[in-house]
Amino acid sequence: MAATPGRSRPAQTSSAQGIAIAIIFVIAITPAIVGQIVLPSGVIKPLSTQGLPGTLINIGFYISISIIFAILALGFNLQWGYTGLFNAGVAGFYLIGAYVAAFAITAPSPPIVIANVVVYPGHLGGYSLPFVAGAILAMIASGGTAAVLALPALRLRADYLAIATLAFAVILQIFARNLTSLTGGAIGVVLIPKPIELQPPSAFFNTMTIIGIGAAVLLFLLLLLQFISESPWGRVLRAVREDEEATMALGKNTFRYKLQAFALGGAVMGLAGALYASTVGYVQESYFAPAVTFSVWVMVIVGGSGNNRGVIIGAFLIYGLEWFSVQMKDYFTDFGDQIFYVRLMVVGALLILLILFRPEGILRETKRVLR
Amino acid sequence: MARDPILEVEDIEKAFGGIRAVDKCSLTVLPQSITGLIGPNGAGKSTLFNIIAGLYRPDGGEIRLDGGRIDGLPPYEIVTRGLTKTWQIPHELRNLTVLENVVLAAKGNSGEHLLNLFFRPRQVKRDEQRWRARAREVLKLTQLDKLADEHAVTLSGGQKKLLELSRALMSDPAIVLLDEPVAGVNPALAGSLMDLIETLRREGKTFFLIEHDMNVIMNRCDRVIVMHQGRKLAEGPPQTVKTDPVVIDSYLGG
Repeated sequence: MAATPGRSRPAQTSSAQGIAIAIIFVIAITPAIVGQIVLPSGVIKPLSTQGLPGTLINIGFYISISIIFAILALGFNLQWGYTGLFNAGVAGFYLIGAYVAAFAITAPSPPIVIANVVVYPGHLGGYSLPFVAGAILAMIASGGTAAVLALPALRLRADYLAIATLAFAVILQIFARNLTSLTGGAIGVVLIPKPIELQPPSAFFNTMTIIGIGAAVLLFLLLLLQFISESPWGRVLRAVREDEEATMALGKNTFRYKLQAFALGGAVMGLAGALYASTVGYVQESYFAPAVTFSVWVMVIVGGSGNNRGVIIGAFLIYGLEWFSVQMKDYFTDFGDQIFYVRLMVVGALLILLILFRPEGILRETKRVLR
Repeated sequence: MARDPILEVEDIEKAFGGIRAVDKCSLTVLPQSITGLIGPNGAGKSTLFNIIAGLYRPDGGEIRLDGGRIDGLPPYEIVTRGLTKTWQIPHELRNLTVLENVVLAAKGNSGEHLLNLFFRPRQVKRDEQRWRARAREVLKLTQLDKLADEHAVTLSGGQKKLLELSRALMSDPAIVLLDEPVAGVNPALAGSLMDLIETLRREGKTFFLIEHDMNVIMNRCDRVIVMHQGRKLAEGPPQTVKTDPVVIDSYLGG
C-alpha cells in the first residue's frame, strides 16, 4: 500500500534495537528540554507558572500529550501496521472516547442561563464516576462503534474504507458541534476532573499523576498489544495485510480478523480519548479535526509501521515538533504565527526524507524468525 | 473405475459482463487420481478453479466435494472441508517468512483465536510448536527448508511455486487444485516436483491440475479433461485425448 513502498527489511538484533530506542528517546524529549532550558525562561511560559515546578509542568504537558498520541498510534498500528486497514477516522474514535469519558466523570452540569441568554447549554451525563469507569466506558463506546462501523465498511476495498471512515469522523465532529444540549456545543464539556484530585488543587501534582497514569497505561498497552499481535493471531493479521484473498484461501475467515483488529484498535483510541479528557480538563469538538488523524498517520509511518515500539517513538517525536513550535511561537514574538507553518514544512520535509531513505520507519518491522 | 468421484462439477456457469467464462461446465475428478485440465487460453480453466475454491461465486450449477455441496461456501470453509487451491501467479505473503507462510496454512491452530491466547496458553504453545515442526517437514519435502527464515518476497519465481505447493500440503487436503504448478520452474525442479506429487497421490491425495506443459500432461496424468469456450470438450486417458481430432483442432494444433 501507498505508505509502505517495498517493505524489505533484513533481520535486526534486539540489542541494536535497544540502542536505537534509547537514542531516539533522547532525541524525542530534546525539544522539551531545549524549549525550557536553552531559551530564556522568562520569555516563554505559556503553560508554566514560575521556576522549576512550572518548567516541569510544561515538560510534563508535552510528555502527557505525547503518551496520548502514542496510544492513538498503537491503536492505528494494530489496524494499519498489522492488518492493513486504512482507518482515516482516528479522530472520530478519539472523539467518542473523550466525550464518553467526559460525560461519565464530570459532576452534573445543567444548562446555565443568565438573563434569558444560554451561557452554557449543558451536556449529557455528569455522573461523577471515577476515572477508571470513564476510561472503560470510553473503550467500550469507541470499540463498539468501530465494530458496528466495520460491518459495512470493512467489506470495502482499502481506499473506500478510508473515505468511509474519514466521513464518519467528520460527521461525528459536526454532531458534537451542533447537538448542543448533548455535548455542550462549541464550548464542549468543561471542568473534567483529574484521575486523582488533591485538596487544595496542585498543578504540579496533577501533571505528575497524569504522567504516571499515562505511562502505566501505555506500558500495559504496549505489553498487551505486543502479546496479541506477535501471536499466531497477529500472524493472521499480517497475512491479511499482505494479501487478503490468499489468506482466505489458506482457510482463514479474514473478515473476522479484520473486525477484531478494527474494533480493538478503536477501543485503544477511545482510551486515548479518556486520558485526553482528564489531562486537559475539557473537550471541544474543534480539537478532533481530521488533522489529528493525519498526525497519527505520520507518527506511525515515521516511527515504523508494524512496530509497536517504533510508533511510540514516532508519537513522541512528531508531537515534540508540534510542541516545540508552540514554544518557539512565544519566543519569536515578531513572527510567531509563521512558526506553525515552519513546523508543517519541517514535518513534510522529514516525511519526504524518510520515505526516500528509510521507508520502513525509524524502527522497522522485525522479521519473525520462528524457532 | 467404479469409485465415486471426489469432486463433481455440474452445469457450472459464470459470466463476467457479456463474456461467459464458464458455460454449463460439468466434470468429475476421481479420488487418488492426477487429473489434468487443458485448453486454450481463455477457455475458463482458472475461472473454474477459482469457482471451485470459492473465490468466485458461480451464477448457476452445483459443486460437490465427497458428495457434499460446496458451491457458495466461502473459501476458508472449503479449505476446511479438504480442498485447497494454489495460484497460477504465486500469492506469497511477501513480508512474512517462508516458514510463517507455511505455518499459516495449518488448519485448527488454536493460537489463531484471540481468546485462546488468554485462556488456553498451553494449548496455544503446544499447537504452535507442533505446526512449526510440521511446516519444517513440508519445507524439506519441497526443498525450501534452507530458505525457511527468508521473507517470501525474496524467493525466485520457481521457488514461489514451491511455496504455493508447500502451503497447499500444509493444510493436509484430500484434493489439491494446482494452477500451472510447473510453469516457470526449471526442468529438473519440475521433474522432482511432479515426482513429489506422484508420491503424495500414492499416499491417498488427489490432484487436479491446469498445465500447458504437455510432458506433464502426457506422462504424469491418469486422465485429462479438455476445456474450450467455458465447457468440457473431451476427456479420457492422455493418449486418447492426444489423438482426438476435436482436441487437436481446438488446442494442440496440427
